[in-house]
Amino acid sequence: MAPLNFFEVQDIHMRFAGIQALQGVSFSVAKNELLAVIGPNGAGKTTIFNIINGVYHPYIGKILLEGKDITRLKPYKIAQAGIARVFQNVELFKNMTVIDNLLLGRHRFLKSSFLSGSFFLGKCMREEMENRRRVEEVIEFLEIEEVRKQMVKNLPFGLQKRVELGRALCMDPLILLLDEPVAGMNLEEKEDIVRFILDIKEETETTIIMIEHDMEVVMDIADRICVIDFGAKIVEGSPEVVQNHPKVVEAYLGPED
Amino acid sequence: MLSKMSADTLPKLFLEKVRAYGNGVALREKQLGVWRPITWNEYYDHVETFGLGCRRLGLKLQEKVSILGDNCPEWLYADIATETLRGIAVGVYPTNTVEQVKYILENSASKFVVVKDQEQLDKVLRVKADLPILEKIIVIDMKGVRKYKDPLIISYEDVEEIGREIRQTKPELFAGIIAETQASDIAIIVYTSGTTGPPKGAMLSHSNITAGQTGFLKVLPIIREDSLVSSLPLCHVAERMFSLFLPMKVGCTINFAESVATMQADMIEISPSIFLTVPRMLEKMHSTITTKIKDANPFKRWAYKLCMPLGEKVSDIRLSGRKVGLYYSALFLISYFLLFRPLRNRIGLLQVRECVSGAAPLSKDIMKFFRALGIRIKEAYGCTESTGVISTPEGEDRKLGSVGKPVPGIELRLADDGEILIRGDLVFKGYYNDPEGSRSVLKGGWLYTGDVGKLDEDGDLFIVDRKKEIIINSAGKNIAPSEIENRLKFSPFIKEAIVIGEGRKYLTALIQVDYENVANWAQKEDMPFTNYKSLVRNFRVYGLIEREIAEANKNLARVEGIKKFVLLDKELDQDDGEVTATMKVKRQIIEKKYRDVIETMY
Repeated sequence: MAPLNFFEVQDIHMRFAGIQALQGVSFSVAKNELLAVIGPNGAGKTTIFNIINGVYHPYIGKILLEGKDITRLKPYKIAQAGIARVFQNVELFKNMTVIDNLLLGRHRFLKSSFLSGSFFLGKCMREEMENRRRVEEVIEFLEIEEVRKQMVKNLPFGLQKRVELGRALCMDPLILLLDEPVAGMNLEEKEDIVRFILDIKEETETTIIMIEHDMEVVMDIADRICVIDFGAKIVEGSPEVVQNHPKVVEAYLGPED
Repeated sequence: MLSKMSADTLPKLFLEKVRAYGNGVALREKQLGVWRPITWNEYYDHVETFGLGCRRLGLKLQEKVSILGDNCPEWLYADIATETLRGIAVGVYPTNTVEQVKYILENSASKFVVVKDQEQLDKVLRVKADLPILEKIIVIDMKGVRKYKDPLIISYEDVEEIGREIRQTKPELFAGIIAETQASDIAIIVYTSGTTGPPKGAMLSHSNITAGQTGFLKVLPIIREDSLVSSLPLCHVAERMFSLFLPMKVGCTINFAESVATMQADMIEISPSIFLTVPRMLEKMHSTITTKIKDANPFKRWAYKLCMPLGEKVSDIRLSGRKVGLYYSALFLISYFLLFRPLRNRIGLLQVRECVSGAAPLSKDIMKFFRALGIRIKEAYGCTESTGVISTPEGEDRKLGSVGKPVPGIELRLADDGEILIRGDLVFKGYYNDPEGSRSVLKGGWLYTGDVGKLDEDGDLFIVDRKKEIIINSAGKNIAPSEIENRLKFSPFIKEAIVIGEGRKYLTALIQVDYENVANWAQKEDMPFTNYKSLVRNFRVYGLIEREIAEANKNLARVEGIKKFVLLDKELDQDDGEVTATMKVKRQIIEKKYRDVIETMY
């Protein structure tokens, strides 16, 4: 197995107005690994994602990407460093087409200045073609050819989620953060997304960190699972280990009398 | 160099086209949103390397290669490569279930199977333990399957790579192999859709195929400049004829849509000049247009109301054999630019010159509708056992409802009970591994088609129905259900209709509503529903269909009228064994399954 220190979350502490949201969470992920972060509601899972993204800054602790400290960077810098995120609720530009939304994912690769862009000069045109090509590859990968020219607002929820995943993929991310990718989906949509997540893992080098409540999906596709409860990590390990761990059972079902 | 005379097999014809057209475009495939041309040279290159690769992997004379997946260039490469090695290519419907796939791989004794993607591969892997003859599974799109460890799996790419290595040392090998193909070789096995029993594998030889090409082209002039979109499944003999056999003869261009879902949009971009279709697709186009028009702005509705009767009038004049006068020509021209042209563009049929409908009888109402738009559909008649073609009308303005005269090379006569019998080079070589089945349709040199027909005084053929499906009511009168069903299906709200009445006093029907259009209608009527089932259980939907059936009954003879009907509370499905892969209704199975429902109507 690849070394575990490709991406590291070290001893994160986070506090909101006196509430201790996270108290010393640490985990690390290997390259091309799929780590699931699970835990009851309010355990602090989404807070971890927000810290990784640079939306919040922890008062103690570090986030390391390939050994580099990215804890205090601004969100856009973190995106440029190659960390992409798919949100729990769809956060797309609803009045833009699928292609335009995906092209936005290519933003970190666009170098043309405002001036050359205005006149669509040679270099800019080449750049546009290159990026458009990558967008088309993602469209093919996610099998959304049918809707590529449609407004996002006209698409059903499951497809919007897929488009959002597509936008994240267009960033060619090193790390993909998935916040409840199958929430609110019907069985067929769920099966599709699960297949795409597995394909992403297989076809690219992407490392995936996923928050998910659907235990069937988690147990099926995660390489390792990290369980959070009351802002602290209680267990970490393979699906088999986690599934039967007494602390996990307790966190979900309450303590046995 | 091969002379014209010796090109008596498909691979020989192929090589002839490659030498004649070289860098001309043979195929187009939409990839990453862009149409990518494939020249005849590139086409040959793929067929050659894949063929040499298969040869190295051990494919021998008369061994079978099944091809399972949606239409794509690789489908054709694998097909011709197999035929060149004097193997036999077998098409399998991509919509088939695991069990159906197993049946065909087993029945055809396939040694290799070429699968399009993970979805199809998974089907084969689930049943491969029961297929001892199967030696290789060749995967075209490796997405998601790169980590599969099964020893049978090899990627399409790798087979071509093996072929490329062989070609480096023996560049002339493949052309030599092509020259060895014989007209009498069995080229393909086409499985019938199997409405009455399990599918049967019809063996077609190269001489069948070349006879089919010649017969078809004599009545349907297709030329090198024509372009087609491959839209029906390639395992069906009619699509094979249009996407593979005819291009090998005339060199026309075949286009492959990005996916089944984008077919409509891709059709508009290509705007093909030749269009092969089935009644089901035309019915769908018709119902889409009529429902969309109802939602259109007042100007469009006005234009539609004004122009359609005019289009029908012009079509009637043409059908009656008279010349369209200046007055109507001028009006038609205005209507064309006002309505017909934009409508035709919307459905991708703007430039269509020859539109052929086959596989099932087409309703006259649908035919009239498209004729009004200036699309003069030709209804062709054929079956798998006749290499797809028996007769087709010559010229545009033949009698409505007639399938015309037999194509050159076919001798046709009617048996005493009206069954159509044919003889000629197009007649197949029998069913694979089923001598008894073959004997039951090939008697005394004649092919018994199982269809009942009539010939009029000009020798034009009219199809009455499948012999097995003709209903004899309790008064002893013969009734052809498919014409009645077509009348019913003309309604945009009715997707499928099954007429019942064998040995009964009157006719009844099982109706499957068109979910999309009825749901649309229900939304406008502010009717709540959650799914198909709850929709059809609403009494107002029943009322809607009742009105539609009353409308259809007006045009039917008394004895043919539908007295009662039931709405099916689920959509007919291939997975439930109710329809074939080509969406033909399996009447016997449905009648058995819904016996209780049927009895309530009598």
